[in-house]
Amino acid sequence: MATSVSPPAADQDHSRGRDAGDGGAKAFNRLAATCVTLFALIWLVPFVWAVITSLRPNGEIAEHPTRPWSSNFSLDAYSYAWTTNPMGWWYVNSFIISTLAVIFSVVVCSMVAFALVHLDYRGRYAVFAVILAGLMLPTEALVLPQFMEFRALNLLGTYWAVILPSVALPVAVFVFHSFIKGIPVSLIEAARLDGASWWRIYYQVVMPLCRPATSAVAILVFITSWNAFLWPLLVLTQTKSQTIPVGLSGLIGGSAIQYAETMASAVLGILPLLAVFLVLQRQIAQGVANTGIK
Amino acid sequence: MTTTSSLGRPAAGVGTSSTPARRSDTPERGERRAGWLFSAPFLFLYIAFLVGPVLIGIVISLFNTTTVQPGLGSFVGFSNYADVLTSGDFWDSMWHSVIFTLFTTPLLVLLPLLFAILASRMARGQWFYRLAYFAPYVVPSSAVCLIFAFMYTPETGLITNAFGWVGLTAPDFFGTTSGAWFAVVLLTLWWTFGFNFILYTAAIQEISGEVYEAASIDGAGPWQQIKSITVPLLRPTMSLVLILQVLASLKVFDQIYILLAGGPNYSTRPVIQYIYDTGFTSYRGGYAAAATMVYFVLLVTISAAWFLLRRRRSAVNA
Amino acid sequence: MTGLSRRQFLAAGGGLAVGGLLSACGTPVVSSLTGAQPATADIIYWHLFGGGDGANMAKMVDKFRESSGKSVEATLLPWGNPYYTKLALAASSGRPPDVAVAHLSRLPLLARAGLLEPVADQFTEAGITEDKFTPAAWEKATVDGTTYAVPLDTHPFVMFYNTALAKKAGLVNDAGDGLKPMSDADDLVEAIKAMRDAAGGDYGAVTTVTADPSTCWRFFTMVYRGLADPLVADQGTDVTVDRAAMEETFAFLQRLTVGERLMPSNATATTSSTLFSQGRVGFLFDGEWQIPTYRGVGTLEFNVVPFPALLGPEPVAYADSHSLVIPSSSGRSASRTADAVGFIKAMLVESLIWAEGGHVPAWLPVQNSKEFRQLEPQSNYTEAAFNAVYDAEAWYTGAGSDFQTAMGSVIAGVFNGGTSPKRGVEAMTDSLRSFSSARPPV
Repeated sequence: MATSVSPPAADQDHSRGRDAGDGGAKAFNRLAATCVTLFALIWLVPFVWAVITSLRPNGEIAEHPTRPWSSNFSLDAYSYAWTTNPMGWWYVNSFIISTLAVIFSVVVCSMVAFALVHLDYRGRYAVFAVILAGLMLPTEALVLPQFMEFRALNLLGTYWAVILPSVALPVAVFVFHSFIKGIPVSLIEAARLDGASWWRIYYQVVMPLCRPATSAVAILVFITSWNAFLWPLLVLTQTKSQTIPVGLSGLIGGSAIQYAETMASAVLGILPLLAVFLVLQRQIAQGVANTGIK
Repeated sequence: MTTTSSLGRPAAGVGTSSTPARRSDTPERGERRAGWLFSAPFLFLYIAFLVGPVLIGIVISLFNTTTVQPGLGSFVGFSNYADVLTSGDFWDSMWHSVIFTLFTTPLLVLLPLLFAILASRMARGQWFYRLAYFAPYVVPSSAVCLIFAFMYTPETGLITNAFGWVGLTAPDFFGTTSGAWFAVVLLTLWWTFGFNFILYTAAIQEISGEVYEAASIDGAGPWQQIKSITVPLLRPTMSLVLILQVLASLKVFDQIYILLAGGPNYSTRPVIQYIYDTGFTSYRGGYAAAATMVYFVLLVTISAAWFLLRRRRSAVNA
Repeated sequence: MTGLSRRQFLAAGGGLAVGGLLSACGTPVVSSLTGAQPATADIIYWHLFGGGDGANMAKMVDKFRESSGKSVEATLLPWGNPYYTKLALAASSGRPPDVAVAHLSRLPLLARAGLLEPVADQFTEAGITEDKFTPAAWEKATVDGTTYAVPLDTHPFVMFYNTALAKKAGLVNDAGDGLKPMSDADDLVEAIKAMRDAAGGDYGAVTTVTADPSTCWRFFTMVYRGLADPLVADQGTDVTVDRAAMEETFAFLQRLTVGERLMPSNATATTSSTLFSQGRVGFLFDGEWQIPTYRGVGTLEFNVVPFPALLGPEPVAYADSHSLVIPSSSGRSASRTADAVGFIKAMLVESLIWAEGGHVPAWLPVQNSKEFRQLEPQSNYTEAAFNAVYDAEAWYTGAGSDFQTAMGSVIAGVFNGGTSPKRGVEAMTDSLRSFSSARPPV
């Protein structure tokens, strides 16, 4: 199911209903199609508008603000945006933070999930209950005490301040937990009889079978940490160690007349994740649906 | 709990056995040790960075702590709580978070449901709808705000002008409270619509085709099918989306802070920004920690209430 | 799915490779991973100047780069609370910039929280001493007996007037370089009326009221402080409102707008600049930092003068100062600090460039120079720097603070007639009480 990408069963059956020549159904479907498509097109407008604006000269934007075409499209705004702000560093910072967060959370969360499913140890149920309770913990609300804690640890201003709180993710544990539960016990018992250590079973038997869960968690963590705003705003204050969202937020209300440059910065900020999304949109949608929580 | 059941989906594809590896004999020492070793990294990070801040928050809420200075400051007992609970600004900001939730939740629970149902009936172009509706979800909040701030600009903005095309006058999106709410709710709708859309779409795909077939043979039209099959079967998903949406909306910060800075004149400032303003801008750490704890208790109460309610209901059903 | 995870694995590997590559040189990535002091340039400098000020600042920084051979990383950050919050967080993280701009009105909280290096020996050695600064500014830079900031300028709230209209209205003095002396509020009202008649429009003057609490606050404070002491005392814990004076002040503000309809009661920043630059009003009441804005308007000829005495006996110049501070950092080396001091000294020496933005340099060698004295209209209001009135000292006051926003919204209500002077006094006193009763963070 996780990898199922075929069009939903519902509309296959439905087209059968249409074949029966139900006029009302046909009209309904046509109306629905128009509605959904129109809305989808409206949904794309902000993207398209940002791109168009970023390519037009400022004078023209001020003169004809809503004209969607121009005879002088140019990429000047992009080179300006790239050189005025350390966007390159922001990309690097965001990339390092998100990647490390993904690696750590996949390893740490899958390990505890493996232990919860296959290892019998005292306190197992307590651990499970604690993680379940963690689903309800609104960590975003706790930035102030978190800040105090990281200052005491002398980690403010480092990537670790952003990475460490995003690693122990209860949702990720549940994704792995339910997935590992589906792996036949016989496989593990066989490996056990062969004398494999628990670490080897985890590493060589369970994890290779967990790819769908791994990718769901990786996608979730990557998007979440790439787009995180408040916490990186508080802890990464040096201009060149900021992440993309925090850096971009400083441009709001900066210059009222540099429309093209501002939109070019926004487009540059959107680009990396959007590119990934365009390539992997099916998997990302599936991953988000699987984790089912923000 | 619906979260776990929706999480449980991947298992179905691979699983032949759903029982955990339980053995009747007592576990060996090595296994017990391995269990703790495998759990240790998670538990350490969990206790240090998720539980830790809660405890630290409770402690500093009892002191007059200066956020930007090391140390706790002087002990002040519960007076920070007394100050928070009697502060008009604090309750205003709580109310703003609630208003935002009241505006966005119905829109973001029902509209994505409608469009997910309609889109799922399309034989072709699924990828296009997913692209259009879901792409905004991967955009960082500040980029969304940059684009929308430009579209909301008086006179030159696209949205401002769009009001003119249909014969309306655009509200002052930055100068008036109602205009500001409109601006931020529309932005949020565009930005997070896709997330709920995807959750619904996934749930719709779970519904077996046979049900529709049977209904079709019985002569049910598309509208009846939606009304009597799709929507009732989506109830659990709607309930999940509802609680996720309520919790997410109550935690609003990014859009309102970046686009409006809580303005005009703090009339849209949400509670997280209140904590940010008092705790980080004014350095009133102890006070802001007390505000944090009050807000924290509210959020946990809502999630716990929902959780217990779900459990009771599923117990009754079973 | 297999493809996905492999791709992700490669991406992750690539990330680490990039990380490894970067660690070779002294980059922000390394300091962010190891927690080392950031050292991406000899001097890391944060400021909040856009527009004309930003261009002048860039010129000064370039001059320093050329003359010293040091590298400077200058970053423009959003003005107001976001800036001060970021500065405080950076300092308390132990990774602040080497030099930062701060308004003197925001200094007390930063200084008392221990976030700034005192202006001590190294500055004295560089010749940065009290006797070379406008006394009012130096005094404001001193908190509890220790000086924490090097004042760069004083920027008062002033009157802009359209020279052609003033001539037509008969307001210009005999020398032709300023206005005929005015001695009280009634004189000002008469002058505005004359301007209105000369312009032939609806209004004689304009100031920004809507969505600009800071301007409202500046105007109010200037009038009020002619009559009474600051609104709060004892570091802001005590409300010392003179209710009669406040009511009189509010009545005067309202007289100008809804009373005699001499000024628009709900002007936005756009309204103000449109009316004044098109010659539809004779007076603009705003900060002198707007001078570059109106210099850019082709046909407009204007002059800038300080306000006369209004309700009180003496003229009051409501002002603030930009200053340069060194945020404290335990990890900053002595040589970096020396560079920072050198940079600050260079900014002072170059502050004639800075004065082009309308500001009065606080560095007396420049202020007394022939070049500055010839600078029009800046030299008209040099005196204002000496009798400058700043925000009352409290942990919550200062440029762009919540306090100014809260006060400004009451004042805007009075300006546009929504609040009567009497109700305005109640509203402002209430608001002040909620600020003063909060426990000070330092």
